Amino acid sequence: MDGKLIHIAINGEQYEFLVSTRKINGAIPPEETLATTLRERLNLTGTKIACGEGACGACTVLLNNRAVSSCITLTVECDGKDVVTIEGLQDPVTGELDPIQQAFIDYYAFQCGFCTPGIIMAAKGLFIKNPHPDRKEVEDALSGNMCRCISQYHALDAIMAVSEKLTNEGGIKA
Amino acid sequence: MKTFEHYTSKTFEEASELLKQGKNVVVAGGTDLFGTMSKAILPEYPEAVIDLKEISEGEGIKDNGGTIEIGALTKLADVVDSQIILKKAPAMAQAAHSVATSIVRNTGTVGGNVCQDVRCWYYRYPHEGGGRFLCQRKGGAECYAVHGDNRYHSIFGGMKAGITPCTRECPAGTDIPAYMEKLRAGDYDGAAEIIMEVNPMPMITSRICPHPCQDKCNQLGNGDCVNIHAVERSMGDYILADIGKFYPAPKTETGKKLAVIGAGPSGLTCAYFMRKQGHSVTVIDKMEKAGGVLMYGIPHYRLPKHYVDDFVAALEGMGVKFDLGKTVGADISMDAIISGYDSVYLATGAWKQPILGIDGENLTMFGLDFLVEVNKYLKKVAQFGNNVLVCGGGNVAMDVALTAVRLGAKNVTLVCLEKESEMPATSEEIERAKEEGVTIINSRGLSKVVEKNGKVIGLETKACTSVFDENRRFSPKYDEADKTIIEADSIILATGQRVDLDFLGNKYAEKIKSQRGLIEVNQESFKTNLPNVYGGGDAVTGPNLAVRAIAAGSAAAKHMSRDLGFPFERGVKGSEFLSCDAESVAVKESVKLKEVPLGQRSLDKEDAVSLSKEETAKEAGRCMNCGCYSVNASDITPVLIAFDADIVTTSRTIKAKELFTTKLKVSDMLEQGELVKAVIVPDMEDYETHYEKLRVRDAVDFAIVSLATAYKLKDGRFHDARIVLGGVAPVPVELGKVEKLLEGKTPTAELVKQAGELAVKGVVPLRKNQYKITQARALVERFVEGAGK
Repeated sequence: MDGKLIHIAINGEQYEFLVSTRKINGAIPPEETLATTLRERLNLTGTKIACGEGACGACTVLLNNRAVSSCITLTVECDGKDVVTIEGLQDPVTGELDPIQQAFIDYYAFQCGFCTPGIIMAAKGLFIKNPHPDRKEVEDALSGNMCRCISQYHALDAIMAVSEKLTNEGGIKA
Repeated sequence: MKTFEHYTSKTFEEASELLKQGKNVVVAGGTDLFGTMSKAILPEYPEAVIDLKEISEGEGIKDNGGTIEIGALTKLADVVDSQIILKKAPAMAQAAHSVATSIVRNTGTVGGNVCQDVRCWYYRYPHEGGGRFLCQRKGGAECYAVHGDNRYHSIFGGMKAGITPCTRECPAGTDIPAYMEKLRAGDYDGAAEIIMEVNPMPMITSRICPHPCQDKCNQLGNGDCVNIHAVERSMGDYILADIGKFYPAPKTETGKKLAVIGAGPSGLTCAYFMRKQGHSVTVIDKMEKAGGVLMYGIPHYRLPKHYVDDFVAALEGMGVKFDLGKTVGADISMDAIISGYDSVYLATGAWKQPILGIDGENLTMFGLDFLVEVNKYLKKVAQFGNNVLVCGGGNVAMDVALTAVRLGAKNVTLVCLEKESEMPATSEEIERAKEEGVTIINSRGLSKVVEKNGKVIGLETKACTSVFDENRRFSPKYDEADKTIIEADSIILATGQRVDLDFLGNKYAEKIKSQRGLIEVNQESFKTNLPNVYGGGDAVTGPNLAVRAIAAGSAAAKHMSRDLGFPFERGVKGSEFLSCDAESVAVKESVKLKEVPLGQRSLDKEDAVSLSKEETAKEAGRCMNCGCYSVNASDITPVLIAFDADIVTTSRTIKAKELFTTKLKVSDMLEQGELVKAVIVPDMEDYETHYEKLRVRDAVDFAIVSLATAYKLKDGRFHDARIVLGGVAPVPVELGKVEKLLEGKTPTAELVKQAGELAVKGVVPLRKNQYKITQARALVERFVEGAGK
């Protein structure tokens, strides 16, 4: 592959990358995963890499509004798509946190915090599809997110609080 | 991940073309592929990855009225949420929802799910963790789960993932594990049928073959190899005890005439298969009795001659005619044979003494002649002395040396060019020779015969510094300065045999003789340059194993008969799944043939006694029936099979059951470049459908046992029930017998019990997965019990 220009919207900003198997300075090789591109090229290190095979959920981001594992997603295959990471949830102008982020703070829903961005992004994906999930639906949506500090119960409480709050306020903005 | 080229396809056809090139793979969701690539789980790494995600026609769920079409690239999450599927095929949605986690379902596709590879932990052991397991599924030889941790493996047996090492090493390609399986079940007739597909004389090969089939047996990683030849011998004895049954005369005659020249293993094999087809077969040989090297070259103590006589009698019983004591070229002309028969098979062996050109060679004896003499008369021949020196390092030399010992020679010495580790004789034969007192002198070449008054008094030898050149070709190098004399009063040369084609006469020899003095044949068809004349055995290959000659006789017969217009119908099919005996495969020590004690061995009695039926069954039990004992991982395939769905590929539409259960891997069913485009699920609204999945965690885990069901209830009675188990065998298992049992019946407690029992009838669990039987049974019982509720 001599080189292919791809376009990805990341956290609302348009990026252009050159993908090539040739050793061109700055070019992305086809095997580069989205997680690596986010962390190492764009310094968006809120997205974590742990298992590297799509089993733990630490690298979860939104791809066209769906939660996916960025460690098993090739950057080249994100051409023309929309990516949102944990850094993209905060309002860039006011600095206001996403209601899920705020709820995690309010409910102390993390210990070491390594898995938290992934959990929040998985929850965000759920809220976009289903603004008022019940607890079972939340559990199902988070079934792919591992936590070794046992923060799960607090995380579920935080997310349920958002769901109930949204029920009262009438939905979450995508 | 290592690098690769990346292509994005817009159509299936484009992707299909790309897939045909090189070592390319396609990616749909990528939830499995990139993990296997980054962990280097498979020995082969793709050159290019072809992305299918941009194929717009591949994604979506359409209600076609009567059927639902689900594009292969449809995400599992969309199947879960589809109102059409929830209404008309709910088990599909349940199965899709049971896959892994919501994050995986957001990316994973229907096509990827049904085509996914197994989750066996040996198969998927990462290379970086100390090296991957090259199991049979990955092109290696064995299934590590058979001896290892098999708690998640098959309870219905395995499936062949390739040619097992025993079959590969056997020149005749005998399906050894298949007959072992039959023997474990006590089915000697079935076992005999399998071996006689390729070898009509197991009673002979089991006694004389150096059994290369045992050399790479996977049991060697556990203990002794399976004692295949001992088991084969019991089978051979069984066959011989009922000649009428195993060597029936053909029911119809074809009217075609075949002449076989040479009544050795190759010729007799060809005669057997051709006669079985109904051709008229005449075997011509110059010796008084048929059998060739089996009759005259191999000592009685290894192969008592009544086995050869009985086998030949069996062929006669089939209607094979023997014209013995006739030398072609002298008593019958080649012209007469060629004009008198429709086909001719030349299998005249390798009987000629090679001339070494050393001084005094005329005072030596030729090993094969010596064996022939002894075999004929069972006694000493004239020139035989007390200090016998045998020259040669192969099995014939061993036969000569042991025969000399048993004839009563005081000292028998064997000298050969090779180091012990290089000797062509099998280690078993070398050990036996040593055991019986033969002195073996290695790494010495022949220089000249030392004589006194025309009598042999010894052999001058020279040091052999190397036997083979760098290309492993025979090219001995000597140190001419290092010479010693070995004292002997008789020297027997067993340093090879040559092919003698003088009988052909110049007219024919010119046409079919190769530069090496062998019969030249097409390796595929066994045809010589003469029309309707075929060749095989040692006359074609030079001196080789009897079983190789047998393989040639059988393969040549297949081609000859086809060329005569009567193609073979071949192929005894083994059982659907391979089974092994979990307890017996763990046994480290093989059952061995009982040998006659050293002092009681003789020239004319067999050295070993055949195994009893019990011993045979015990040893057959040690066969691991190598294959792949993993289980299908897909949750979607059992449902597609239960629904009798159609799978649309780039080249055809195929039933789900055919695609997903015929072969071990879905990829083996697809042609190169063929891609699954869509699945067509019938509208199942009239049915109750359900997918149940047992696992440790409610999410993430693959099924330990799963059950896809569909049925109708008519007046409280089952109608058209479909029951498919997943996670219990290499492919999903449709419980046809349970389906039949349920038809027209009401779900009573008795029926629940019967269905559960029938569902797991005939299971062959491994050592650590017996709990899965209980689970499978419970799922089926629960299904029957819950019908209509």
